[in-house]
Amino acid sequence: MIPGDFRVPKISPKILLISCLGTLITLVILIIAVLFVGSAWWTQPLFGFDEGPDQPIAFKHSPHVKDLGMKCTYCHRFGTEGAAAAAIPPVEFCMSCHRVVGDDNKEIKKIRDAYNGGKPIDWVRVHRLPDHAKFYHPPHIKKLSEKNNIEASEVCSTCHGDVASMNKVKQVSPMKMGWCVDCHRANGASTDCTTCHY
Amino acid sequence: MKQSKWGMVVDLDKCTGCQGCVVACQAENNIPSNEKSDYDEDRVIQWIRVERYWEGTFPDVKARFIPIMCQHCDEAPCEPVCPVYATYHNSEGLNVQVYNRCIGTRFCANNCPYQVRFFNFWEAEWPDSLKNQLNPDVTVRSRGIMEKCTFCIQRIRRTKRDANVNGFEIDDGSRAINPACVNACPTEALVFGDMNDSNSKVSKIKEKESKKSGRGYHLMEHYGTSPNVIYLKKIEKNKSHSN
Repeated sequence: MIPGDFRVPKISPKILLISCLGTLITLVILIIAVLFVGSAWWTQPLFGFDEGPDQPIAFKHSPHVKDLGMKCTYCHRFGTEGAAAAAIPPVEFCMSCHRVVGDDNKEIKKIRDAYNGGKPIDWVRVHRLPDHAKFYHPPHIKKLSEKNNIEASEVCSTCHGDVASMNKVKQVSPMKMGWCVDCHRANGASTDCTTCHY
Repeated sequence: MKQSKWGMVVDLDKCTGCQGCVVACQAENNIPSNEKSDYDEDRVIQWIRVERYWEGTFPDVKARFIPIMCQHCDEAPCEPVCPVYATYHNSEGLNVQVYNRCIGTRFCANNCPYQVRFFNFWEAEWPDSLKNQLNPDVTVRSRGIMEKCTFCIQRIRRTKRDANVNGFEIDDGSRAINPACVNACPTEALVFGDMNDSNSKVSKIKEKESKKSGRGYHLMEHYGTSPNVIYLKKIEKNKSHSN
């Protein structure tokens, strides 16, 4: 053997196994990351985001909507009939019933405490648009209820899904620009940039 | 709904140079406050500005004022130079700036003869005491994009939306659409309206003043930009008409 001659170093099978495993794990992580980012880019993340966020009060829609048959627009009148954002009713509005209803429920006690303490409830926002996209409910509700000949309160599920059977409210539609524009085209609404961006 | 074509008339005979329009515009459109350093660097953002000219020598001196905002030209020089179509002409005759498309090349500002396009060199900042006065209907522009007068498109959209939902007609009276500067003008030197509607105030003024004897003219007419803002010359005591 001449000194300095090239010799393939011997790799122990243990190191070979570790490096192979490492490569495999890196590849799997990479594929998962690409899938996650890719799916989130086009619509919604494929996994991990199918539950809505935890709210300060474990409010459930089903007893209100399914059992009592209340309409969406009864409580959510504040965003659907004029104002731009925040269609969550104020605490006073909940109290118009819960002053007398639901004495033995600890979640309702939270509402009463908030009302008596004069503190707003820090609801976690579920649907959020960027600042440069302006959305207003009234024209959309009017158009869709007239087109499908249904009541205003039945239009909501078109974009918000079946909120009544959700345990925690979550976002079901992608709320990306392509999704907005598809519907605008289908309904003959304006697709001028300044319809939403100004 | 019939197609509108928005336009404005600026009567220089009524303008007193009070800067009310400038203040109203800053407040309505979330324009950051301009500091002295911004003036020194020529980086002031004023969607409408009142230019002042002195005429004559003391004591026989006169101040001339001319409010200048985006002229919403039909043949806008800013539009064809945008590489990403962030500025374009919409069907209502407005020259539109789409903030989320803009990549900040500043070609449009360089090509605008009226100098009414402004670049956000920095992230807009307000003193804490003013943060709650921001208009929620207007996007707060971020660093690196152009902005300019929109003829208060948020007000146009709001009125049209209300008209659509509640079923009323937009007119020049109680259902009028007015930008903030027009609302603020104490002498009613600024008039805004639909040029396509022959009964609107602007079309009547346009019809009357664009005759040969009229006072109407466009800024830098020789460029052929055909602006949608008409200026009316000041009436002089001894001269017939002069600007």
